[in-house]
Amino acid sequence: MDGKPGMTVIVKTIVRIIVAMIFLYGFYIMLHGHLSPGGGFGGGVVLALGFLSVLLAYGREEALKWLRLGFLRDLEHATPLLFLGVGVIGMAWGSAFLANILSKGKLFALLSSGIILPLNIVIGIKVGLSLFLVVLALAEFDLNEGADQ
Amino acid sequence: MTLYVLCFALFLVGLYGLLTKRDLVKIILSSGIMGYACNLMIVLFGYRHGGAYPILEKGKEAAAMVDPLPQALVLTSIVIELGATALLAALAIRLFQKYRTYDITKIRRLSG
Repeated sequence: MDGKPGMTVIVKTIVRIIVAMIFLYGFYIMLHGHLSPGGGFGGGVVLALGFLSVLLAYGREEALKWLRLGFLRDLEHATPLLFLGVGVIGMAWGSAFLANILSKGKLFALLSSGIILPLNIVIGIKVGLSLFLVVLALAEFDLNEGADQ
Repeated sequence: MTLYVLCFALFLVGLYGLLTKRDLVKIILSSGIMGYACNLMIVLFGYRHGGAYPILEKGKEAAAMVDPLPQALVLTSIVIELGATALLAALAIRLFQKYRTYDITKIRRLSG
């Protein structure tokens, strides 16, 4: 380790190569949620695992320099508002909350699910960032804090 | 029927761990196993022998399929279980900060 945070240079290099593919796979699962197994939650979990691989390989300080925790936290807090916004758009232009206002397209095409696709993306971002932040929060706990003996 | 019995056996494994283990981490894992057994049971209720997976595909004939409703319910249940496990882990960490141990027989002071 020679005093540097994170794992060895082998792990770091592999993670640097593979993390883009993990994110691509996560977005693929999110976008194809209405066609094949997957959807917002599964894709979000894959995104969170991508973040976690960076965190584990590079150590906390290095990874947070790269990931910008404040932006991720704000985005995670904003996703319920995005979901609500999509729902209210359905209310404004359609008939009811979360009503479909987009074209349903052709069967089995990528853009064939109307409003479900943006909702899947919102849920995927929310789940991915939430899982990452939960693990980060559990890792940030100082076990020696507040001990009375 | 055998599958249901095995599922219940898995649930009992979790219950055994929850009742007899003294380590907080093992208790959290046992509660997780109980949850997984429940999820498996709910999915099994919707299972149909020889049924297809409930996804419409190009060139696929509509045929007898397994029930997708329990699967959707279990997906929600998995998410809630994840949140509950994270909460239990956070509580265990707080208890460790206070008592310096994960052994529940040594956690007996009532101070806040």
